[in-house]
Amino acid sequence: MVSGDGGQLYTIEGVAAGLIMIMTAYLVVNATSVYTAGDTHINDMQLEVLGSDALKMMGTPANITMNSVDNSTLRTIIESNDGNKFNATFFPLINNRTLQESDRFIQYTASYTYRYGVDSVNSTFITSSRNLTGGEHTVRATKWVVVNKQLPGDSMVQDRAVLVEVLMWRD
Amino acid sequence: MARLNDDAQWIILMGFLVSFSFFFLAIVVNQSTVVGQTTAESVIEFPKNDIRDIRDVIIRNTTLSNQTAVKSDIRAISMSRKNAVVDYDVYPDKSADIHYNNGVTEYNENWTPR
Repeated sequence: MVSGDGGQLYTIEGVAAGLIMIMTAYLVVNATSVYTAGDTHINDMQLEVLGSDALKMMGTPANITMNSVDNSTLRTIIESNDGNKFNATFFPLINNRTLQESDRFIQYTASYTYRYGVDSVNSTFITSSRNLTGGEHTVRATKWVVVNKQLPGDSMVQDRAVLVEVLMWRD
Repeated sequence: MARLNDDAQWIILMGFLVSFSFFFLAIVVNQSTVVGQTTAESVIEFPKNDIRDIRDVIIRNTTLSNQTAVKSDIRAISMSRKNAVVDYDVYPDKSADIHYNNGVTEYNENWTPR
């Protein structure tokens, strides 16, 4: 060894300390933004709340007084099988935001479920903004509606409770 | 060790300390995945919207003249689409007993109109 190499150890220590500091900074910055598998539930939850709120707004009558006939938008839509009206009301409710990111919309497909016979249930398609291919990661939002309608299997028009079900997914 | 320069022992000791702290930081990062998952899952599992919705539809329709069809609808559809046992009774004074149970969460209410 040549003389005068006493500082080499300090150099190595300096490099090691630098690496440790960089690693620590990386860990600290990363710790706040760890996106775990469980966090996808948070997005699902937000989508579900959004859909439930939209359905709740549609299921609320414009003039809400107790003991009056419920003429909410949702009830009218189901009683008259008006898929276009559903789309015209529901789609803006879930997609109108302050910042519109190009054309990335929340898509949905809606149906309602009714009782058929004693205990079996059937679903009727209402409308959809896009066809479901099976690859989407969907979230379900539901709303109970009482309608005055003659459903299949009924002999007359009467008050029936149906469950409106909407599957939503981010496009 | 004799006659060797043992000044670097501090450096080695610090090296140990740093590697142990890395180990604990790794444990913390590792645990965060579990924490996020269980919280989000327990929130999504609680049927808040279901209970509110079933309560809303029952209370708003206590004045129906014929409850039979609506009651059967709610019971059958809840069971098949929501995996929940729902039952309710409406009394002549328009008060209602509401029961909801999906196996995990149970909700009972005796509602009286004001």
